[in-house]
Order: sequence, then structure tokens, then C-alpha cells
Amino acid sequence: MRRLLSSLVLAVVAGCSGGDDPAPAPEAPKVAPDIPAQTGLARLTAAQYRASIADVFGTEIVVPAQLEPDVVQEGLIAVGATAASISARGVEQYESAAFKIASQAMKSDAVRARVVPCAPGGPGDAACAEKLASSLGLRLWRRPLSADEVASVRDLTLKAAAVLGDFYKGAELGIARLLQSPYFLFRVGLGEQIDGARRYPAYELAARLSYFLWNTTPDDELLGAAANGALSTEAGLREQAERLLASPRARIGLRSFVTQWLGLGDLDQLSKDPTLFTYYTPDLGPMAREETLRLFERVAFDERGDFRDVFTTRRTSVNPKLASMYEVPAPTRDGFGEVELPWDGPRAGLLGHISLLAQYAHPVSSSATLRGKFIRGRLLCGEIPPPPVNVNTALPEPSGTTRTLRERVAEHLTDPGCRACHFRMDPIGLGLENFDGIGRYRRDDHGERIDPSGDVDGARFADARGLGQALRDDPRTTRCVSAYMYRYATGFLEAYQEEPTIDAVDYAFRASGHRLDQLMLAIALTPAFRLSGDPQ
Amino acid sequence: MKKPTLSRRAVLRGALGGAAVAIGLPMLDVFLDSSGAALADGSPLPRRFGIFFWGNGVLPPQWNPATTGAGDEWQLSPLLLPLERHKKKLTVVSGMQVKTGNSVPHKSGPAGLLSGTTVQQGGDESFGGPTIDQTIAEQLGAPTRFRTLETAAWRGTGTLSYTGVHASNPAEFSPRGLFDRLFGDGFVEPGSSAKADPKIALRRSVLDAVGDDVGRLSSRLGKVDQARLDKHLSGIRQLEQQLQKLEENPPNLAACKAPAQPLDDYPDTDGRQPLAEVSRAMAAILAMSLACDQTRVFSHWFSYPVNNLLYPGVSAGHHQLTHDEPGDQPQVAKILGYVMTELAAFLDALDGVEEGDGTLLDHLVLLATSDVSYGRTHSLDDYPILLAGSCGGKLKTGLHYRSPASENAGKVIVSLARAMDVSLASFGSGDAKTSDSLSAIEAT
Repeated sequence: MRRLLSSLVLAVVAGCSGGDDPAPAPEAPKVAPDIPAQTGLARLTAAQYRASIADVFGTEIVVPAQLEPDVVQEGLIAVGATAASISARGVEQYESAAFKIASQAMKSDAVRARVVPCAPGGPGDAACAEKLASSLGLRLWRRPLSADEVASVRDLTLKAAAVLGDFYKGAELGIARLLQSPYFLFRVGLGEQIDGARRYPAYELAARLSYFLWNTTPDDELLGAAANGALSTEAGLREQAERLLASPRARIGLRSFVTQWLGLGDLDQLSKDPTLFTYYTPDLGPMAREETLRLFERVAFDERGDFRDVFTTRRTSVNPKLASMYEVPAPTRDGFGEVELPWDGPRAGLLGHISLLAQYAHPVSSSATLRGKFIRGRLLCGEIPPPPVNVNTALPEPSGTTRTLRERVAEHLTDPGCRACHFRMDPIGLGLENFDGIGRYRRDDHGERIDPSGDVDGARFADARGLGQALRDDPRTTRCVSAYMYRYATGFLEAYQEEPTIDAVDYAFRASGHRLDQLMLAIALTPAFRLSGDPQ
Repeated sequence: MKKPTLSRRAVLRGALGGAAVAIGLPMLDVFLDSSGAALADGSPLPRRFGIFFWGNGVLPPQWNPATTGAGDEWQLSPLLLPLERHKKKLTVVSGMQVKTGNSVPHKSGPAGLLSGTTVQQGGDESFGGPTIDQTIAEQLGAPTRFRTLETAAWRGTGTLSYTGVHASNPAEFSPRGLFDRLFGDGFVEPGSSAKADPKIALRRSVLDAVGDDVGRLSSRLGKVDQARLDKHLSGIRQLEQQLQKLEENPPNLAACKAPAQPLDDYPDTDGRQPLAEVSRAMAAILAMSLACDQTRVFSHWFSYPVNNLLYPGVSAGHHQLTHDEPGDQPQVAKILGYVMTELAAFLDALDGVEEGDGTLLDHLVLLATSDVSYGRTHSLDDYPILLAGSCGGKLKTGLHYRSPASENAGKVIVSLARAMDVSLASFGSGDAKTSDSLSAIEAT
């Protein structure tokens, strides 16, 4: 990954200012080029599947817990979705889920009223079966069905209704057929030749926009904008993107992004030794994730504020358990409430969150390497090669002379073979050594005072809060979140020729005052988002 | 990849990559004679193939038996002692090397051993092609309800069973989930009649229509996405086969009966996952799924590469210990003792089902292996390979074979495939390519 500064054209005002501290001239605006992002089928993620079902049928529908597992690629489920296929087990699970959903939907009067647009005159009511096929088909396949497709769903509904002697029982088969189709299970964004360029036709663009900003299927208004052509204009696209971002549902979209980018999904599977960490309970991971997601939500949507504040803010949302682990008074009796961490405390911002500190640690101890690798890779977009083979990786046990982790990992930074990679991770991760394997504060490690100082590529810091400040001030941090958001939106790791698009998006992000909602908007409005590549 | 050749009816019409698509369904119904010792036509009981996998490797000096040979010529090593009661049905293969390179620690080894490929760089570290369990199942085209089964003892769906690039087969990690899938609604007791449920035919009509969708969509795609939809279509085909089995009378297999229903939930103890309890519950169900001929190919993922699971009586996560523990790594040895105890219990479940004139274990071969040799260094030399069962007399057992010259571990795979009557022209590519098997472990 290239650094931001290497790709920016910073016109420094040279010699024409008499001041002692000449400021760089304003950066020239960057315009995203007409270069498409990569194109391919994206399998619905488990979260997208659930959200789409809830939107189309209603939140009362219970979707089975087991669906085809998501695939992570390049650190993102969104990227894995464009490479994943459907396994034999997945076909079974999707079939079972489809029938369970269809059966619940047709048994519930409320859902039936929502979904079936007509009152069937009996099992053989072909007109009603056809109306159901086309109206539900539009919602589930995110596009109008062709006449043949409508006929296929209609005929199956009627055939099943005849066998089972009931229109709604027949409709269950029709619904299950729509739900098992690749047109539902995959987001089909293939593009067509339109007005001299390959671009996404309106319905494909609508789905692209909706799953990016809301992580769910397009609503009626967005489908309407696709139908009437508005979405195919630049102004119409902007209007819809702004509408989606103004909706509370954009928070769900942002939560999905942050969860993937920071790897917070794995917090459901934390492995911690409860005999060592008495605060550890299996619900700790999910509640710690909630704290982090609330921080991003607040900065992005409540405050429409500067993204970089997540690294330094002392305000956070905690429940009583997290409050006790942070040693602050609980703001509420139960549930989450906002607190301000002490001004002279050890903890501020994202890097003080239990979510990251526990996730990037061992089951029994902290890990400067795992934490440093996370910061280097996910927050700075730096590369770390995999460890070489046939090296002795044993760390010295804590002893009289090597008590703290800093002392124990010293070898990582002296042995040339280790140092090549570890100097990119450990000096950063050691800045978080004041927090143990589940993120509680500690002053000492094995009886010796912890030294949490270090540096990020030359930027010195004294402790965890200083590390947060260093990341806040590092331009690579914003470029990195821009790049991750772009990958999340497009479903692919960018190719070299897409770098200028990310530069332009990053420029817009910074120009907006580092507002995450504006970053999302900028990506949605790039040519890369609406132009399509060739089928691959 | 070769498609199943048994085709009874063309279920799907449509174009996939420009070619007509026919969904293969099995032509043969399996009828066994009343004793269950052999098929009605006198042919022997089916042979099966399985994988038992654990993550983070072994400690080679404590793993390899000191002497080689057959029978009493060799003794189990300290780490293998839990397998003592199965020694006669066990073959230890040591000194083999995975020769596909070691670019991605913990993944390159199993990619090379199980698929003969290298790991795709970056991304999801997918293997470069199908693993041997899938290749065998594909070529067998057995008329079983499930083509393969994947199970896990740890709480996760990740496996290293691939049907192709980026197409891994998720594991079932809930014993109750596996039980319901195999012995719930869809299971028909031997000797009883098939259920006449009109809904089954309707479900097949749905799959027909969905298959048509796949065909139409596929014709608009590039090659990469077409390959992804091919997998989808293959899954549809397999579900068709499952439904068809529901409409048939079940084979009359003497050893087949529904196993006891497992617990709904297996809770952690002191933050440790109940690996042993889940693994044993899975083994009991898997054994019956084989005895009932619901599948002939399975893989059991006891744990996963790089797992940091906590085990009873050790002070840190498994992966961390393999790297950080100094000296002879007694805590890692303790974990391996736990895993081998559970491998022995897994074999107990297979060996406890009498079948024909032997046991289920005699009619299968289980490959037990890991992701590296020495966990601390990610080495692929002296790769851990255990085999259990003679696969219906096709393989020798009670043997320790030690390669004198770091032979290609792929030779073992060629032998296993042959034991299953699957002929591989070659296995692996580049330096790892071999068309030779390891004749030392094959019965003559």
C-alpha cells in the first residue's frame, strides 16, 4: 500500500511567504477518474440475507441461525462475498431457510397482508399468483421479473396449491423458489453497455447503493427511482445517496463496515481463560463491540464530526460491566450510557476499547505483536509479510531479568531475521501494554513497572493515549480508512488503476472535515461505483 | 473437474457456459443382502474415506516411533500411546515431506498434502484446487444421500475441505444439528418403507426451477463467476439426490440404526471448549451415517490451523504455546495427548460398529494429519501422517513406515485414492507432482 503523501501533490509555498511557519498551499481538489471498480457477483452475506428478509417480509420472521458462513478475503467479508460460491451444505441450508421463512410468512395474517397483494379466490387463482410473483419478485430479486420468470413462479405456486389444496400453501413453494434462486442469493451487478460505456443499469445500481449504505435490500422509494429513471442521472443518484445517508439505517451500514474493517465479528468467539481473567464472561466480546460501534455511530451521525476523534475522545458508551472494567461509575443501571473517562486516566479513544484490546491478544496474556499487527495492517494499511519458516519462535519465560513483555520480545527487535517484520509491529503494540489480555488497566507486568512508550515510524509516543494521538495525526490513517471503505463498497481489493479514485475519495473525505458519512457519499458518487467492468 | 457420470434423468435444461447441462442422478439403487455383509450381487461392502484433522502440528522427536516395521517390530511413540489399543489397525507414515512449498505457514502444508496445490496468496488463503476427500467423492459418484459430510469438534465452521478455489465446505459443529440433518426428518429406518410426501416432489420442482435460473444467469457471466455458479449447481444437484433418496426404500443394512440423540448444547468448562465431548458425539453420529450408507466420504475437523484454543491443564492457548513455550514443550505435548486420546475415541466409535465379518473401521481408511510438522518452526519436513483402517483390505495396517529420503507426501494420497478405487493420473504439480503411490503401505 502506498502512503498518502507519496500520491498527493502538495504544492508547498516556497519562499513567497515571510512567515516563520509557512503553511502548505491548499491541496488541489482531486477528481475521480472514469475508471470502474471491478465487477462480479456478490453473495449475500449472512447479515444481508437476514436484513433483506426482515425488510421484505417483516421483522417477526425468524431466520434460522445457520446459514452459509461468510468468507473473509483481504480482511473483509464484503470482498469475500465476490469470491464465494455456495457449497452443497449451503444449498441445503438455504433451502431449509427458504421454506421456514415462506411458511412463517404465509401463516401470519400480518405478513400475508404485507406480501400478498390480492385476495386469492381459491387454490387456482392464477391472477393472484401472478401478482404475488411479480410484486414479491421485484423486492427479492431487486428488479422486475421477466414475463417468463413471473410465469415460472406463478406456475409453481399453482401446481403446489393444487397438490396441497390451498393457495397460501402453494404460495410457500413460490416464495421458497424465489428465495433459493441465485437472483436472490447473489447480488447480480453485471453492468451493460449504456450510452457508450459499461455501467450498472438502474436496478443494479439501486442494489449496489442500498447494500453499501444500509447493508440491506433497496426500499420502495429507491426501486421507484430506478424505475422512473431518476437514479440513472447524476443528480438523482446524489439525491438517493443523500437520502439513504440521512436515514437511521445508514448507521447499520456504518456498523457493518466498522465490524468488518476492525475484525469485530470475531468477538463472538473470544477465547479467554476465566481463571486468569475473572472479569471474562462469554458476553464480554459482544458488549465490547457494541461500545466501539456506538463510538463510530456517535462521531459519524450524531455529531457529523471528525473521524479522527475516535482515536482521542474520552467519551464512550458503556454498560455497567464495561464501566466496572474501566473503573468509572456506571452511567445507567443496565444497558448502555455515555461516560467521560478521566482526563488523567490511561485510556482514551478506540485503542482503549476492550473490544480491540481483547480481540488482539492471547487467551491468557496481552500481545504486542498481534496488537501492533492490527494497527499496522488495519489502521495504517501497511504490509506485513507472513513469518518465515524454520525459525525458533520461543519467547523467554518471565524471569528475574526478563519480566515484562517488552523485555521478553526484545529478541524480536535485535535478531535480524525477526526484526525485519517485528519492528513494524512490536514497538507500536508495546504502547498498549498497560492493558492486559482482556483490556483491563495494569501498571505492572510480573512485578515490574510497564514502559508503554514507543514510536510509529518515528512519531514518538509516551503511552497508549499518545499512540492514539499519533495515529490521529498520521495522514495514512485517513487514507487507510478511505481505502477500506472503497473495498467494502465495491467488494474488491482495488487494482492499481483504481488508486486515483481512492485518492479523490480520500481528498473529499478530508475536505469534508473527515466526516465518515461524506466519505461514504463520495464513494457512492464516484464513476468507479456506477461504471462496471467486464464480466470476469 | 470430472462430473459424475451416473445420469438417470436430465433434470435441468439450460445452458451453462454454452454447454447443455444435465444433472446427474444415481442409476443404481443399493440393495444389500439380509446379513448386510455384502451387496445383493455379492460385491463387498462399500469402502469409505475420512480425514481427521487437528491444527498446530506435532513435536516430531516425541511423535515418531523409534523403530520401523510391522507387528512387534515397532512400538508407539510417547505421543501416540493413547492409540495403543488400535495399533493393529494403525499405520504410521513418517519422514515424508510436503513438497509444494511453504509460503503461507499453517496453510501450505495441508494445501500441499490434501489438494496437491499451493495456497492462493493474500485474500482468504484458499487452496488452489479440490481436496482429496472431494476428488474421491466426485469420482466415486456413490448413490449415497450425502456426497460428503464435514464435522467439527471446535466451535467453528471452517474446514480445509475444498471443492475448488474459494469453495470450502463448511463444517457442522453442533452434534444436535448433525443428528437432525442425518437422522431427523429425512431418515428412514432400514426395513421400513419410504415416506410418501407430496412435498418432496414439489421441492424437486423448486430445485428444477432454481437450476434453470443458475443456467440463465451463468450464460451472462465471465469464467470466474461461472465457476462459482457451477459449485452452486453442483450443490443443487446433490440436494436433488438427497430428495430422491427420501423417495426410495432405504437399503437394508444390518449395522444401520439411528444413534442416540446427542445433547442440544455442550457448554464450556473454565473457558475451555468441550472438544472431547463434542468430538465423541460427532463420532457416534458419523459412524452410523457410514453404517447407514448416508455417505462414504467425510472429514472431521477436530481443531483448525493456528487455533488458540485453551485445553485443560495448560497455561496458554495452543498456537501461542507452540511458538512461545521453551524447551521440549511439555504443555504442547499435553495438548497432543488430548488430541490423540480423542482420535482413539473416534476410532473406537468406528471400530465399535460390526459390519460384515469385521467392523466399520476395517472398511474405511482414515487419514489423520495436521497443518505443519513442528509447530514452532512451521516445518513441512517429517509431516505427521497416521492412517487407520485397511479400507476393505486394500492397505496394510500395524505398520510404521519411515521414508528414508523425504519422499513426497503426495504418494500417500495416491495410495489412499487407489484404495478407494479412484485412480489419479498424478497428484500435485511442479516439484510436488507424483504419479507414484507409496507401495510400502499397500496390501498386495
